[in-house]
Amino acid sequence: MTMWFEDINDGDSMELGQYCFTQEEIIKYNKEYDNQYFHTDPELAKYSHFGGIIASGWHTACVGHRLMVDEIKNREEAMVAEGMIPGVSGPSPGIKKMTFMQAVRPEDCISYKLIVTSKRASASLPGWGLLFSTIIATNQKGKQVFQSDVASFSKMRDFKPTIKQRFAMWAVKIPLLKKLMKK
Amino acid sequence: MSNPITKDFLHFEDLHVGQQVDLGKTKVTKSMIKTFALEFDPLPFHIDEKAAKASLLGGIAASGYQTGAIAIKMALKNFPGTLASAGGMSITDLKWKRPVMANDIIGGTVTITLLKRARSKPQWGIVNLDFDIKNQKNQTVMIMTLNNLIDVRNPEIGLERHHDHVV
Repeated sequence: MTMWFEDINDGDSMELGQYCFTQEEIIKYNKEYDNQYFHTDPELAKYSHFGGIIASGWHTACVGHRLMVDEIKNREEAMVAEGMIPGVSGPSPGIKKMTFMQAVRPEDCISYKLIVTSKRASASLPGWGLLFSTIIATNQKGKQVFQSDVASFSKMRDFKPTIKQRFAMWAVKIPLLKKLMKK
Repeated sequence: MSNPITKDFLHFEDLHVGQQVDLGKTKVTKSMIKTFALEFDPLPFHIDEKAAKASLLGGIAASGYQTGAIAIKMALKNFPGTLASAGGMSITDLKWKRPVMANDIIGGTVTITLLKRARSKPQWGIVNLDFDIKNQKNQTVMIMTLNNLIDVRNPEIGLERHHDHVV
């Protein structure tokens, strides 16, 4: 999200945009990463129960992630242009569940949306919070094809570290002390 | 009913719980990381050296989505035969435990942790594949469970034989 952890509320949502999958791209992705006949060969795929070539579920997830990165970048640029300081997003520690409900086929146009479901302070990273969000993807017929319940780090704006935390954050910047602390 | 493409592939009956496949090794180079990130995850800490150094990860790291894509690729390549997959249903409990940094060599295992039949869909079974992806220091970088449908060779028999696992 483009907001600071403190300003994000459960239920906040973000339209991530739409992406139309082409057969060419589906084949290109799958030849590299998910080389199965119903993902790579339109003729052989007819023998599968899908009746034709379909996108890899992981490809569908990757495209949704790309749209999210782009949307956040656009919003950040808009905020900076207005003189605001956007919040800072960190990496994702994981995905509780990712479901592939319907096949994504060539020429399908998939719309992605992100909804924040909950948040809490991170236990492992002082100054950061964890956001739990659901990404929902729907095809042009309005049918949901994909869902992902993803966690991500989000920086706190108003974080005041305790003296102990401040020492720890300073100490990890010094290699020797970092080694000692790990012991 | 029978699919000429998959007749020699590995079916439900050919698999067993506990079966483990070594995933081999893949070196994740800086150029692989940048190429993937430019397409699917163009965040500065995957692409830009300076931004990467200043980030939580401390250097150019692969997109978690790339680690997953490579994991699936290695599983397909290293399974002793082609799985008669009927499609993935879901992925659960995916954790990116450590970053995959440029030039890390990843490998690991995939283990079958569940095989079950469904009365409503006798032609398919469900197989759970647990991925444990490790780096060259033998540290786990990513785990996930893929719940996949797999063709049953003889749908008319076996629902009884596999009755322990029928849902």
